[in-house]
Amino acid sequence: MSHPNFEAQLDAYLDGELTAGDVRTLETHLAQCVECTRFRDRRLELRAAIVAGIPTFQAPPALRDRIRAAARTGSALETKRAPRRFTMRTLWRPLALAASLAVVAIGGWSLALQHVAGEALADNVLASHVRSLMPGHLTDVLSSDQHTVKPWFNGRLDYSPSVYDFAGRGYPLLGGRLDYVGGRPVAALVYGRRQHVINVFVWPATSGPTDGSNKRDRQGYHMLHWTTPDYTYWVVSDLGLAELQDFAQLLRQADSIR
Amino acid sequence: MESSALARFEAVVLPHLDAAYTLARYLMRNASDADDVVQDACLRALKYFDGFRGEAGTSARAWLLTIVRNTAHTWRERHRPEALAVEFDEREHSEAIAERDPEAKETLGRALERLAPEFREVIVLRELQGLSYKEIGDVTGVPVGTVMSRLSRARARLQEALREEEVR
Repeated sequence: MSHPNFEAQLDAYLDGELTAGDVRTLETHLAQCVECTRFRDRRLELRAAIVAGIPTFQAPPALRDRIRAAARTGSALETKRAPRRFTMRTLWRPLALAASLAVVAIGGWSLALQHVAGEALADNVLASHVRSLMPGHLTDVLSSDQHTVKPWFNGRLDYSPSVYDFAGRGYPLLGGRLDYVGGRPVAALVYGRRQHVINVFVWPATSGPTDGSNKRDRQGYHMLHWTTPDYTYWVVSDLGLAELQDFAQLLRQADSIR
Repeated sequence: MESSALARFEAVVLPHLDAAYTLARYLMRNASDADDVVQDACLRALKYFDGFRGEAGTSARAWLLTIVRNTAHTWRERHRPEALAVEFDEREHSEAIAERDPEAKETLGRALERLAPEFREVIVLRELQGLSYKEIGDVTGVPVGTVMSRLSRARARLQEALREEEVR
């Protein structure tokens, strides 16, 4: 059996582009169609591969300068252009820059780790997030199925975190991972949003619940943190703040009606 | 250009320069052509910037990417009619890809390169630029329904290409 319409619809569903009515129809179909479920899982794998492997580029500083200069003068750009042929020199410059940025980033780390205790946990969480983005570190259990991810933690942790899939809202579950944060093993749940990765760290609460979520910005990443009566949550991503807050809201809602 | 318009151009358009450059890199498939295309596109953007008011539903990012895409197409026809036949510059791409995942360069870079330009374009706009279907439709000049089916076919082709790269 082939479902060409469902394939495009499933993609739109994973992209968060379906209307609520279509989402319901599709989820009903998904629940009973093994083929479409398999299709969805393959697409999620593709998505994870894209997140890990396809690079974005930075505009060369010289190009940026030329454009800015043109805007300033309002006339034609200076005609000095990059050499036509690709040379080692033009290649090495960005690589050297990347290398020096890496050194700065690592230097920044060791400084950050000397912060006061309250901030140390945030540093810890961010370090785990960054480490998880390195090839092969994202997930221990690769599954978009919450009923596969949740039991995977059994026997690995002394608590059982709730796992939800928000694929219908454009935040598909990509998998889970065991991590070590704040001196204890914790559950890390991995979600995707387009090319962005969202890490959710969950562990049993040791303090009272918070009303709203606490926001931090570190090194280009947004971090949201809150505590429910049962659990402490940390959500980290390079996703835009508005979308990350939308995601956090979904998570809080799901958790409150559990 | 007046200084207020200049400030607006710098604030509204220039933040999307990396996105513009990334799209151009994938459309032109080499760094120096991408450089030229982005430069030309920004000149055009400057010229028509007065016409861009940031109406509801038109993001500056999608607007700039539309110009980059059109410039890339014109540029290829005018300067490099043979460009479609030109071999993918693997050396260059593999360097960029290697920074992220040395194994992925073997598969993803080549798989993406093998896609037809219209498919490569929607993958880049969606997966790398995070544009909505509506915005992709605006950039590529096709209805949202076409974006949906084209993106779905593009992913299917990418999956096939990936599988073939993996068994190589």
